[in-house]
Order: sequence, then C-alpha cells, then structure tokens
Amino acid sequence: MFTTSSKYFLGIGTLAAIAIAVSILFVNPSALAATALIGLLGAVGMLAGVALYVRDGEITSDEISASSHSAPTTSMWPLLTAAGAGLLLLGTVTQAAVFLLGIAVLVAALVEWTVLAWSERASADDTFNAAARKRLLNPIEFPVLGAVGLGVLIFSFSRVMLAVDKRVGVVLFIVISALVLMGGVLFAVRSTLRRSIVIAICTVAALSTVVAGIAGAGSGMRTDLEIAKYERDHEVQRECGAEPSKHGDDGATRTISAKSGVIATVEFVGGKLIAHVQGIEGEQHSITIPRSNPSSIIFRNHDAGEFRLVAHLGAKEVTEGVVVEVVACTQMTRRGAEQLLTLSIPKPSVANGPYALSVAGVDGQNIDLVVP
Amino acid sequence: MIHVRTPRRLLAPFNLLASVVQRLHRGLLTSGAAIVLAGCATNAPQDTWKPKGPNAAKIDNLQKPVFAVAGIVGVIVFAAVLYSVVKFRDRGQPIPHQSHGNPALEITLTIIPALILTIVGVFTVRSVFDLAKTSDTEMIINVTGQQWWWEYDYPVQEQFGITQPIITSGQLVIPVGTKVLLRETSRDVIHSYWIPVLNGKRDAVPGRVQTNRIEADNPGIYAGQCTEFCGLSHANMRMEAIALSKDDFAKWVANQQTEYVAPADGTLAKEGEAVFLNQCVRCHQVNGLKRADGTPAIAAPDENVWSGAAPNLTHLMSRNTFAGAMFDLAKPECRKNVWESDSATFGGKYLTGVTKDCLNESALRAWLRNAPAVKPMYTNPEQLAATDGKYRGMPYLGLSESDIEKLVAYLLTRN
Repeated sequence: MFTTSSKYFLGIGTLAAIAIAVSILFVNPSALAATALIGLLGAVGMLAGVALYVRDGEITSDEISASSHSAPTTSMWPLLTAAGAGLLLLGTVTQAAVFLLGIAVLVAALVEWTVLAWSERASADDTFNAAARKRLLNPIEFPVLGAVGLGVLIFSFSRVMLAVDKRVGVVLFIVISALVLMGGVLFAVRSTLRRSIVIAICTVAALSTVVAGIAGAGSGMRTDLEIAKYERDHEVQRECGAEPSKHGDDGATRTISAKSGVIATVEFVGGKLIAHVQGIEGEQHSITIPRSNPSSIIFRNHDAGEFRLVAHLGAKEVTEGVVVEVVACTQMTRRGAEQLLTLSIPKPSVANGPYALSVAGVDGQNIDLVVP
Repeated sequence: MIHVRTPRRLLAPFNLLASVVQRLHRGLLTSGAAIVLAGCATNAPQDTWKPKGPNAAKIDNLQKPVFAVAGIVGVIVFAAVLYSVVKFRDRGQPIPHQSHGNPALEITLTIIPALILTIVGVFTVRSVFDLAKTSDTEMIINVTGQQWWWEYDYPVQEQFGITQPIITSGQLVIPVGTKVLLRETSRDVIHSYWIPVLNGKRDAVPGRVQTNRIEADNPGIYAGQCTEFCGLSHANMRMEAIALSKDDFAKWVANQQTEYVAPADGTLAKEGEAVFLNQCVRCHQVNGLKRADGTPAIAAPDENVWSGAAPNLTHLMSRNTFAGAMFDLAKPECRKNVWESDSATFGGKYLTGVTKDCLNESALRAWLRNAPAVKPMYTNPEQLAATDGKYRGMPYLGLSESDIEKLVAYLLTRN
C-alpha cells in the first residue's frame, strides 16, 4: 500500500507531529518552533500524498525488478551528511556560524543523497538515471555553486583590499579589472582557444585571488582601519576636550553610509559655527531633533587646525549626589575633513536642557539642539 | 510491461481536492468581481486616481497615460494570443511549415517597445526628479514612525508663527498651498508614510532621514495608511493629513503653543490630573504639567516603551482621532460633520476640537480600560524578553472605572 518515498515522508511527518506535541506541551505553546514544525508537517504530508498518488512515479514492476538488482553507485553524500551532522553538533557548543554551516551542509547533502537514491532506482538504465538526477539537481547545483564560488572570490578580494595601502588598492583595482577585461577580450576574440587553456587561466586566476585573500587576512587590516577599531573606545572615553584624545583621534572611516540620511550639517568656518538643515533656507542656529531617535549630524571643518564638535546633553546623576555632564563628540577633524556625530536624546529639552552643540576650545559659538 | 494501477480509494482525497479547487475557483471569480466593483466606490478617501495636491497630480499625470499605453499593449497581446490559440488549435491537422527569421518583423517588434519604453522612461525620470525637488520648500515637519503611530514635530519656523517646537501625533496639520517637506524617520522598524491623494509613499527608516514633499490644494482631511509591514498592528497604523487655510493654520499653531492651564481645584478633571501624574506620565508627556512639588512632570517613555516614545497628549482634544488614528475621538455624527464640510467651513469645524458633547467616550474608555484588547500590541509581560521588558504599544494598566472617569474628564481639558 505505502510506497518507499511515502513511508519516508510519513516517517518525517510522524516525528514532526511528536515534536509538535512535545513543543506545545513541554516548551512553549506559542513558540516559533511549533509553528515551523506544523509547516513541516503540512509539507511532508503533502509530499507523502503526492508520492502515494503517483506511486513513486509509476515505475513498472519489471523496472523495479531490474533496478533492484543494480548496486548503488559510490557517493560522497553519506560522508558529507555525517560531516554536516558533526558541524551541527560542534556548532551547538562553539559558535552559531558553525551551527548554521552544519545545517547548510546537512540539508544540501541530504537533498543530494535523497535525489541520488531515487534516481538510481528510477529505471534499469543507468544512463537514464544519471540524466534524471542531473535534470532535477543541476538547475539548483549550478547557481548555488556559482554563488558560493563568487562569494569566496569577493571575500578573498575584499581581504586583499583591506590589507593593502589605500593608494596601492586603487592601482591594484585598476590592474585587476584591466586583466579581467583583457581575459574577456581574449576569450571572445580567440574563439578557437583550447578549452583546457581557458580552464587553466580561470583556475590560476581564482586560486591566485584566494591565496592573496588568505595572505591579506593573515597580515591584518591596514593601519588606519586598525585605528578605526578604537572609535568605539573613543566614544566610551568621552574625551571631548580641545586636545587630541588618547583613543582613536585619527579620523573616522566607517561613517560614509550614514552620511546620506543626516538631520543637519554643521560647519566650522572662520571661527563661526553654523548649521544647515535640509528644507530650511539659510544658516541656522538651532536644530530640532526627535526624541529617543538616533539622529546624525555631519561636522565639517573649514578652518586651519583640528577641531571637534561637542554635543552638550545636560547632566545626569551617576550615583547619589554625583552629577556628571553628558557629552558626545566627534573625533578631531582636520581642515577640509568631516565627521559624523549620532545622537539619541531620550528626554525633551525642557527636562534636561538646554542642549547645545559647540566646538571644543572655541567660546561663544553654540547651536541649540531642540528636542520637543 | 505491467503498470502499477492506483487504487480507487487512494484517489478519493484527490477527488475531494478537485471539488475544493472548483469551489475556490468560483470564490476567486466572485472576489475578483468584488475587487473590480470596488473600483466604482465613491467614498474612497485613499484613491490614488483623485489627486488633491500638485505632487499627487504629477504622479497622476504620469500614471494615467502609462496605464493607457500598458492597457492598449496588454489588450493587443492578449487578443493576439487568444486569436492564435483559437484559430490554430490542434484539430489533427498536419504541422504547418516552420520558418525561422524575419529581420524586418523582428526589428520592428524590437523598436516599437523600445520607443514606448523610452518615452515612458523620459517622463518617469522627469517626474521622479520633480517629486524629489526640495529647494523651494516652504515648511518642514519631522515625521517619526513607531509601532504603531506617527509623531509629527514642527521645528521653529517663525514665518508660520511657530516660535517653539510643536509636537503632535495621528493627524498631520498643514497649511493649504504650502510646499511642506516631511523629513521622515523611524524609531524602531521600517514604516512607510503615504497619503495617496497628496503624494507617493516614502519609507521611514530607522537612523535615516528621508524626505517627502506634500502640498494640499484645498482644506480638508486626507487619509493615509502605513504601507510597509511593521508588525502586529500594521493594519491599524493610520494617519490623516489635515489641510487648513493659512488663517486657520495660524490659529491652530497659536492653540498648540498655549501655556498649560491646570484644571480648577475640586473638579473631577483635577482628580484626573492626579491619576495622569500617577499613571500616564510614565510614558505620555503633557507640556507644562507639574507635579505637586512644582517640578515639571517629564515622561519617561524611553524607560518603558521599546521605541522610546509615546504620543504627546498636551492638545489631545485638538485632534479627532487617537491610538494611531485607529479610533475616532469624536462621535460618528460629529466626525462626519467635519469630514463632509465644504472647504469654507472645514477649518472652523476642525479647530473647534472635540468637545464633551462630541467625545466618543465609549471608545476612549475602552482604550483606557484595556488598550491591548482593542488594538493588538506586544504588551504581555511574559513575552517582552526580546525588548528588555519594554512594551511595544500601550499596556493594560488595570485602571479602576473611577480612575477612568477622572482621566476622561482630565483629557477633555487638553484641547
């Protein structure tokens, strides 16, 4: 009555049903796990129904008889399934990334193994069986392998670009893109080029990129990026004076992406501090920012020397009787450079204000920060 | 060759399935007809085909010709396919002569769509740049989305009489014939702000400020809806833009900047103020409200709510919706009176606010009694681990009926 694949799906379905019961009764009735398991139960139930309906593809009895005699081909999938299960277990006690990798390997190996096992019994003709497997899996395998390969190349290339000096990086980028273009032109023009040569060139290029990436990752990031790591320390230390701080006053490097969504631009020009607010004409001396919402302000220094923008955000009692001023600031910004200051102010101006922006070491130049 | 036959009893579920599909098919047809007929609705405040401002008109001027061109192309293609399917259907005739390549036809059929797309593209790009223009902005308003309501704050703009920031929620009030730049952001997840009859939609993204320009031609109420799925009560995250004449807008601004007047001693409203100070001020700000010791009562939504904000209730009764514009603060007849008034009388009626006679007291009481019961929100204390115990929405406060009575009396003074 039950076909082989329907038994398989019904087995999974039974396990899922038991898991749902355990999850609901002993873990959490509204947990995500139960929802996912119910989805799994529905899916395997449908697959079991389909398998029963089509009788595993309506294989004729003589084909079943013939195929049952042929031995299964050698396969790496059992090994990879075991490796996936191992990674999954290892991941539970080490890192989430290993756990996720284990799941990915396990699922991929199980799918491959299942389809391979099915295709080997599809008919008595091994060639037909192999073609059936390819027809089913190649549309999945090629894009996935292509994406993984591309990901490895991009990651390797990024390690190289992070390791080399900025100027060298520009030259390297030009040279590599020129080489890629030349390769493309060569392959297009010399259509009679032997396949083995094309494969050799592509393999050498890919391997070189990966090796260079490993070398780049090994040597670490270039100096200015290493320094930028201390940017967080700089914020924690709150060294907002006119003098350079001990923690990463060497120019922020990770703020580019935030610069397109700022609430205002503050400029230090000729000893004066002025603000430009999008949508309001002219120079402004106050900026209104929403309460409890991270809001970014660009500070641009046009004067000789290095300056930093400081936000004065009232005072707070850290322990009983000890009140400290709350400040936030940019790093020292040289002439022509700009930095981003992101503020989140939980209380309105009337509670803890007035709030203001100033330049460390420069008196009489303030911009009001208004929090409604 | 012996074929394994499918037993009849195994087919029973599939016969049932076929029957279900057939019914579903009928249902889909009925639903489709209902959707088509819905296009004939006269009371459709979010109709994109009826622009009420220049920005929405720009979109309308683009979408109507594009829709017409796309419709004509679609009809031609469907007719050609239908003709081919019927005319050349398989009737047992021999396969006709197969030919490959017709350069003239192929070039023609490439050039025509390319030309159509180029023309559409030119007008689309021009409209996109027109809509993105901000250089001639006359007024700015910060719009902040959070689960599940919109906050509006008006920075100081003395040309409009705004000498101190104004903060409100639910209803965006703008002067007619004024180019208003909305600077949109979000405090928690991505939302999307859309008043269909005034302009297209724009996402409100945490940590970013995105601009959207609106302008209304005439006084009136223009409805909108959050259009980016943002969690449990996304469907209940509504908004309304209120366009007032410039004189009426000035009156509205003046009212929003009035000093706080405490209820008279010995009144029910005064008792309500005490309840508010004891309960509501943990999240809701009322500007000017002071504690018994004379210190300002500052709300601390950052300590209780995940988004860090709750609606400012200083002038609650000056707007006629609450809870993210989900509920009417005014009784249906009073609200209808405002909604259906003409341009000349609209401003006066809106500025009257919600009076005791017009208050939709049952809805307000239900909200105060148990807010999560009337609007789905994440407020179950057992399920707040992911938000460090902070609520997303207004929680159940366990207020007594007596406290609710007092609060309603107090809130009625917030106009």
